[in-house]
Amino acid sequence: MNILLLLAYGIINTFFVLLVSPLFISLIKKVKAHTQGRKGPSLLQTYRNLAKLLKKETVYSKNSSWIMRATPIINIAALLVASLFVPMIYLPEPTNLVGNIILFLYLLALAKFFMALAGLDAGSTFGGMGSSREMAISALIEPVIILVFASLAFAYNTVSIPDMFRGALASTVFDPVILLIAISLFIIIIVESSRVPVDNPETHLELTMIHEAMILEQSGKNLAMMELSSAMKQLLLMGVLVNILFPWGLASDFSPASIAVSLLAFLVKAIILAVVIGLFESSCAKSRFFRLPGLFAIALFLAMVTLIIEVFA
Amino acid sequence: MTVVPMENISQMLMVLVLATAAIIIMKRDIRSLIKTYAFQSLLVAVMAVVFYIETGIITLLLLAILFTVSKVLIIPYFMGKVQRKLNIKRDVQFHFLSPITALIVSLFIILFVYLAFTPLIGELNRFNSSLFTLGVTIGVSLVFMGMIVIFTRKQTLTDVVGYLTMENGVVLFSLFLTELPLLIEILIIIDLIMLTLIATILAFGIDSTIEEFHSRLNPFMHPKESAEKKTEEDTQ
Repeated sequence: MNILLLLAYGIINTFFVLLVSPLFISLIKKVKAHTQGRKGPSLLQTYRNLAKLLKKETVYSKNSSWIMRATPIINIAALLVASLFVPMIYLPEPTNLVGNIILFLYLLALAKFFMALAGLDAGSTFGGMGSSREMAISALIEPVIILVFASLAFAYNTVSIPDMFRGALASTVFDPVILLIAISLFIIIIVESSRVPVDNPETHLELTMIHEAMILEQSGKNLAMMELSSAMKQLLLMGVLVNILFPWGLASDFSPASIAVSLLAFLVKAIILAVVIGLFESSCAKSRFFRLPGLFAIALFLAMVTLIIEVFA
Repeated sequence: MTVVPMENISQMLMVLVLATAAIIIMKRDIRSLIKTYAFQSLLVAVMAVVFYIETGIITLLLLAILFTVSKVLIIPYFMGKVQRKLNIKRDVQFHFLSPITALIVSLFIILFVYLAFTPLIGELNRFNSSLFTLGVTIGVSLVFMGMIVIFTRKQTLTDVVGYLTMENGVVLFSLFLTELPLLIEILIIIDLIMLTLIATILAFGIDSTIEEFHSRLNPFMHPKESAEKKTEEDTQ
């Protein structure tokens, strides 16, 4: 029975992430368009783009090696596995599941590493530039991510993400340090999903692009996989933030009614977060590359303060 | 829906105050610095209201009103006005520490303040142990963080924001430690307004010589006259 439930959890969660993640990409675009006084693309546009890309032929550069071919598959596989760690709508019972936040973060890092390699692989100038920038940013943001998740682990006394959500769901009072962690997590979402102060997801302007530069050489199905995996990464991180800050509605028993409530609750919470991200993105300009550490330093500071409060107080 | 106790709300407010102090250390845009300061003062005022609900001391409510009027409305409005007149938008020069280093230094300061106050908790505690520790630590750290802002920034307006942050820290500290009489608080606020006024006016020419100072100040004090004078000079 338990095994079946776990299996059901895995299937539901993975498919949910797979199906819903493009929606939030379009939603954020829509919010940004509205703040600029435009109508913006339809909410289904990202799905249409992906469907079109999946039908197209994949073209490889003559100079590219197996890395170019393997990267999209590794990316999507890593993100699919990572999506098992973040319960979006159904919280499975505590079991001796393999894996914890460290594995989760390493899966995200693995995807990023191969993406950077693929950027270098084709030998185009833009790809190399994008990879170099991405790695420079990663070197700065990874310690912050580790610290933020470490402070989460301290706050809930566990290293497994489902257990953290369970702790958040069980706590009757709102722990103030969660607020600090939430701000840090928000900054991490902005950085990891290449949003405005760090990167601009809209343009292919050579001076600013980071993420887009790395996947410039990808085409057809591979590009679809890369875009889907970056959408999934964004939804996973949003899921961590949403379910820790507002855990209400998260279903812990497996019945259609509670799952439906949980689904609705999650969609409402995530839509609010996506609107906030869109508004945040519209409210600030892309900052200079060398000023980015300032943004990361705020996340670092808040994570460290959380650690001080958790460890000493 | 979970019921959030008062203690929890004030903890959240304090944590947010600390976050605003971090933003004040990092920010370069003077207008958003002033807005952040106004927000920080609003948080302190809300905290005073929370304490009033908890303890029923009417002074706290009056204090909250005083803070809202003076520190959320008057001082930020005045500083915004001066900033527009001075036409300085950013503060990008730093002494001694870069903002990131300053943030890391303030981390150590928070840790140090915490360690310094732990032995005193038993003697000074007024409400509740955990709340008191957090409040005192954040209050005193806020004073130090304001000081860091003062000595790392070059623009006088930013220095004033740093000074005001220090004052917020003192208020936070005093909310937890003892109850100051309302009269003293009012005097402090009046001092604060006067000091902000004087400091921001001095900001026009704090880096100039005395001879230059009047010629710099006059266009701001009497914009009409100086404009006429200028056109006269131009025609001559």
